[in-house]
Amino acid sequence: MDKNILEMKGITIQFPGVKALDGVDFSLRAGEIHSLLGENGAGKSTLIKCLTGVNKMDAGKILLDGKEIAPTDPGNAIELGISAVFQEINLCPNLSVAENIFVGRQPMKHGQINWNEINKRASELMSRFHLDIDVTRPLSYYSTAIQQMTSIARAVDIQAKILILDEPTSSLDENEVQLLFSVMHELKAAGMGIIFITHFLDQIYAVSDRMTILRNGHLVGTYNIDELTKFELVTKMVGKDMDVIFSLKRAEVAPDADYMLKAEHIGDASKINDISINVKKGELVGFAGLLGSGRTETAEMLFGATRTVKGDIYIDGEKIILRQPFDAIKADIAFCPEDRKRDGIIGDLSIRENIMLAVQSRKGFMKPMTRQEQTELANKYIKMLGIATPDCEKKAGELSGGNQQKVILARWMAASPKVLILDEPTRGIDIGAKAEIQRLMLEMCGEGVSVIFISSEFDEIIRCSNRIVIMRDRAKVTEVKGEICTQQDILKIIAEGAA
Amino acid sequence: MSERRYDFSSLMQSKVTWAVIAELLILLVCFVIRPDFFSISYQPSTGMLYGSLIDIVNRSAEITIISMGMTLVIALGGTDLSVGALVAVAGAIALKFLRWDVLTYTTPGDYTVYPYILVLGVPLVVCALMGLFNGFLVAKGGIQPIIATLILMVCGRGVAQILTDGKQFTTGYSPFRIIGQGSFLYLPMPIIITIVVVLAVAIFTRKTAFGAFVESVGVNPSASKLSGIKAANVILIVFMITGLLSGIAGLIYSSRIMSNDSNNAGLNFEMDAILAVVIGGTNMSGGKFSLAGTVVGSLIIRTIVTFVYYFGIVAEATMAFKALIIAVVIVLQSEPVRKYFAKRAALRQGGARA
Repeated sequence: MDKNILEMKGITIQFPGVKALDGVDFSLRAGEIHSLLGENGAGKSTLIKCLTGVNKMDAGKILLDGKEIAPTDPGNAIELGISAVFQEINLCPNLSVAENIFVGRQPMKHGQINWNEINKRASELMSRFHLDIDVTRPLSYYSTAIQQMTSIARAVDIQAKILILDEPTSSLDENEVQLLFSVMHELKAAGMGIIFITHFLDQIYAVSDRMTILRNGHLVGTYNIDELTKFELVTKMVGKDMDVIFSLKRAEVAPDADYMLKAEHIGDASKINDISINVKKGELVGFAGLLGSGRTETAEMLFGATRTVKGDIYIDGEKIILRQPFDAIKADIAFCPEDRKRDGIIGDLSIRENIMLAVQSRKGFMKPMTRQEQTELANKYIKMLGIATPDCEKKAGELSGGNQQKVILARWMAASPKVLILDEPTRGIDIGAKAEIQRLMLEMCGEGVSVIFISSEFDEIIRCSNRIVIMRDRAKVTEVKGEICTQQDILKIIAEGAA
Repeated sequence: MSERRYDFSSLMQSKVTWAVIAELLILLVCFVIRPDFFSISYQPSTGMLYGSLIDIVNRSAEITIISMGMTLVIALGGTDLSVGALVAVAGAIALKFLRWDVLTYTTPGDYTVYPYILVLGVPLVVCALMGLFNGFLVAKGGIQPIIATLILMVCGRGVAQILTDGKQFTTGYSPFRIIGQGSFLYLPMPIIITIVVVLAVAIFTRKTAFGAFVESVGVNPSASKLSGIKAANVILIVFMITGLLSGIAGLIYSSRIMSNDSNNAGLNFEMDAILAVVIGGTNMSGGKFSLAGTVVGSLIIRTIVTFVYYFGIVAEATMAFKALIIAVVIVLQSEPVRKYFAKRAALRQGGARA
């Protein structure tokens, strides 16, 4: 089992301005699950894209079974036996599961497609994964997990030697993850080499045999799974001590501080019936709850993105009416939405334009900021937040996830809000950037800004919040103080539905 | 931080650069075939300059003016198909006011029945309102722009027909003639109007933050709204501007022929305007736009047509010939070609430095 089926040696890829990969070595054995780790922008995706023929190498070579290969495009890579399953599923949702598995290489009979054969073989493949489903249904009928399995089934059927799983678990629930893992183990036993990319540290330890860590386009090292503790692993990924994240201190709120935001018995037309939220000046209130517990809906009401049909909202003691986000911005409320790509970043515009947007929309378009003012503003926040970019004219869409989040944060910091609502600001970004965003959040509290922080990761909520609002089934269950709360407490309250 | 550097490589990446190169190439071919293509002479009797180049700019006026609005619509990620029909509507209304009662005024003479201000004002207001109607369907109704504007594209010409009872009126009113055939500072009036419109749109979009808002909404409407931009208002304004500009183009067109022509006025203008915008480097999927690029795009289209007329290519082949040249221009601007030349330019530059 120690034979390397894949060897990548001295891979170097140059993008305009940066070396995305610099002399990286990587090897994969047959029958091995090998995790590829690194922060966003470390070069994981670039390495994968190089293997699947999307990116061209500037130096280095790839050996597959000892023979040098140079994949020219994804189709070519598949012919060579390298199959990739990406986070965004690249199948046709309107075709059936069976069609998706065999598209492009349908078995023929008398010059016609042999549907019986296709459906039979597809069923067999899926049942190998312990999935007893109707393969003639369209793919979109099934959950993300099954769609992913279909993708994997396709790779298995074309007898891929190497299977790449890029963030396959990010949209799966716990059972689905276990299902995926059992499939991975089976494929491993059959001698397939699997490259596994994920942000979840626990999952790495659950399935991998070895791991390779990248940082800033350089190879940090390849380790057996039992060689490193989680802490060592994270330290190697981030490249600096994790002390930052543990040295974060909660904001100090004066006991007699005034309420900056008061929302009394508000409700929207459909989802939230009655909820009351208070945030003091300089206080950080965390919203804890599962997906769909009403966290986002409440935040959207407080920002005017959804109409509030009942209840009152007060800012600094003054009643406000929010018809649209513009009204909220006028009232000094800011909101970083959950879906960064869809609702946050404006990808084709420059960092400068992205940052100045909220300030400008507040002024209206007839009072424009000069180019110089915009540049100064952008550069100020690029420096303050440590946004990694050569200059402020780079397209925001080209930045890594963590840096995009910082740009959105900069957009709202520039508007100097009194209330800042952050919906999952740390999701899908690496640990270094996470720590930095939490630090910024707490700094803003220190300057008297009231912050509402929504996150699915209870540990960061507990670490940062003065008060935690626990939500369940689209209603507030209770509030607890941040200092005296543990993850178990929150889980228990959510599970039992009462304090 | 430093100013943005415009090195040769990034210049070769720009679509506008390629539009300019294409225009120069076409003109070069014209020059090689007939050197007098570039001659410009002064005609004292009309007080105007004459020549092929002047003619190209003059005849491109309508498309250039319309495509200023079209650039903004496309930057929003939409298209406006109704502009050609609005050209016909503007002409029909103007001529209706010039000659309300056809029975009384049977011959076209130097008169107007209604005040001149109405002759000019009403068509512009109506076209702006029709643009606003388009914008309303898109912004409030959430209808795709191409479908929403299809309504007026189809019924606009019908409205023009109804207004003029299906008749083609002519007029001889001299103040009206000035718009399309007069001159100012030795230049034909349409050129002057074009310059004013281009400057006005450029100032409105680039000296205020309106252009940035249009681009932002074009790239990501949802994120723009959550950043406080009133996206619906931006859409309404853009479609209204496009309607108004179509009205101006309509007045120029009908002044050139001193008549209304509900069937043929502005025919296929929407296609030429979209083409001008695309050749000018604005992406059909919305986002960053270039008004200067659009002007060049419009000039290219007109240069091709003039080229065809000037060199006596048979009329039947005109469309095919136009398509051929446009195909070449579009391919020159395609990403692989631009990247190839940018790479070569970068290599050459790198070599020079070393």
